[in-house]
Amino acid sequence: MTNSRPLVLIVDDEPDMCWVLKNLLGEDDFALRIAQTGEAALKFLESESFSIALLDAKLTDMDGLDLARRIKAIDPWISIVMVSGYYYRDDVDIRAAMDNGLIVGFIAKPFVHSDVIEMLNVCRQTKWEHQGPALEEALGPSAAWE
Amino acid sequence: MHMAALEPLGRDDPHLYEEMFGVFLESIPSSVLLINTDLRVILANRNFITKSRKSRQDVIGQKLGQVLPEAIIEHIDMARKVREVFRRNQPIRGNRMTYRAPGIPIRIYYYSILPFCRRGTVETVILLMDDVTEHARLSEEVRRVERHLASVVESARDVVLSTDPDGLVLTWNTAAERLTGFPSQEVKGRSLFERCVSEAGEELRKVFTQLREADTSQTGEWELITKDGNKIPISWVFSPMKDERGTSVGVVAMGRDLTEHRRLEMQLLQSQKLASLGVMAGGIAHEIRNPLAVCSSAAQFLKNPELAPGLREECVSRICEGIDKASSIIENLLRFARPSSGAEMAAVNVVDVIRSTLQLVSNQAKIGKIAILEHLPDEPIAVYANASLLQQMFLNLFLNAFNSMPAGGTLGVSLRCTQESVLVNIEDSGCGISPEHLEKIFDPFFTLSPVGKGTGLGLSICYSIVKQHLGNIEVKSKAGEGTVFTVQLPLL
Repeated sequence: MTNSRPLVLIVDDEPDMCWVLKNLLGEDDFALRIAQTGEAALKFLESESFSIALLDAKLTDMDGLDLARRIKAIDPWISIVMVSGYYYRDDVDIRAAMDNGLIVGFIAKPFVHSDVIEMLNVCRQTKWEHQGPALEEALGPSAAWE
Repeated sequence: MHMAALEPLGRDDPHLYEEMFGVFLESIPSSVLLINTDLRVILANRNFITKSRKSRQDVIGQKLGQVLPEAIIEHIDMARKVREVFRRNQPIRGNRMTYRAPGIPIRIYYYSILPFCRRGTVETVILLMDDVTEHARLSEEVRRVERHLASVVESARDVVLSTDPDGLVLTWNTAAERLTGFPSQEVKGRSLFERCVSEAGEELRKVFTQLREADTSQTGEWELITKDGNKIPISWVFSPMKDERGTSVGVVAMGRDLTEHRRLEMQLLQSQKLASLGVMAGGIAHEIRNPLAVCSSAAQFLKNPELAPGLREECVSRICEGIDKASSIIENLLRFARPSSGAEMAAVNVVDVIRSTLQLVSNQAKIGKIAILEHLPDEPIAVYANASLLQQMFLNLFLNAFNSMPAGGTLGVSLRCTQESVLVNIEDSGCGISPEHLEKIFDPFFTLSPVGKGTGLGLSICYSIVKQHLGNIEVKSKAGEGTVFTVQLPLL
């Protein structure tokens, strides 16, 4: 965990929001890829394997939850966090997405930075716990979080 | 006088006048009794015999008291009056008496008592009685009908009034008094136009000119001014009053107070407006929370005392931009929710109205993945309108278009002018409307949206707003391809 920076996909159509997340997460702890549309995000997934995706709920070309489904179809191990000003925490759609495991977390805009960091750390952990043993079995212990 | 003309006839036959007198007496439609100084009847004509249902023997030679019912004689003091005519040689004319004979309905007479004077003395008097029963009955009937009509007019809750062809008030009912505070006597003989706001007065003058020329009624809304100076919106029907020759003799005006109606209409518009704000809430929330999130994050970055100077400056400018962005979104909403122009009609640039409405729905368009293509001219296009109502109408049409494109699409808004009007096309690439629904879409409460999604009032309100602006709205649609609404408004 120490020697690897998890690869995080940020998808938001607002350049300002991308700027915030980029400055918040920083390049030290995370490797970041930024997409402003759903299509661009899917393009990234073709070539790279992401640990975490932070998705806006409303993109210009598709719905955040639709994008989440398409991402999951490509990479079922990815942890998706919805970062949105459109929904609220107990929103029916959000609860359903959490319950069926489509997203692991929801952060309402505007947010407190520590909440986002904490959420990403949980995701990291979760990914390790879920993915670790399975991958360990398949690939051996050292490959788990590469 | 007339006798002179007859004289030549009399030379040949001295009995001629006697015979003629007999013919006249028997044929005139009045009852005639000749009475002597004893107050006995010495002559009665056929009319009297028939009306009194007596035989000639029962009448001729009898005392007046036996010929006419005693009640009458006493009631009108006939004997004294007859004696007076004998004594004074002066006729008594035009008195009324009611005559009841057994077995016949009541009769009403006008009677005159005339002296017949020969050689200086009154030898006989003539009692002349005209049966005016029918006449009296008719005039009573006329009065009854008049009273009835008057009470219809007076009991009406609507303003009912009549004027001469130039608009001078002839009658002014209680409802008009109550509504305006002007009593009838202050208004009668004065111009109806004085009671209206000045522009309405001018328009009414034209209406009255048309009424003089045409047979048809004129309808419209014109405000009355009350005694307190308040304006009351009234829906009027003016109908020409013609005499039997077809000449215009006046105007009948019926007016209904629209205050309550207007209030309900305003409430409906306002609640529909709030409903559309509800529809937009999602888009608004999203759009406002983005700049808020940027501000909040930038402020959190600024908490770090070791923040790089470049980033520090960037944070400050992003906070300022974010606040401006959020507040302009809120301002648009406020302008829509509480328009400054109120309910006034004024010269309005329709291009501005469309642009600001598009701005209002831009958030909604964004989250609905709808591209807006506008083809609007740069120069202003003026219409006479209530800007806030126009905005509500366009908003409804835009949101309606969005509803038809749940998976996103294109909203085209274009505008062109003809000689007299401006035509605004609102075109969507949505699901379209099937022909059987197309004719119902402007009906209130007709909706194709699921329960809770649409009130079914948006388009009916569009329709009433357009009609209120003397315009027109048309729709063309192909199921599966999209819909085009065309709003036509008269140019100023």
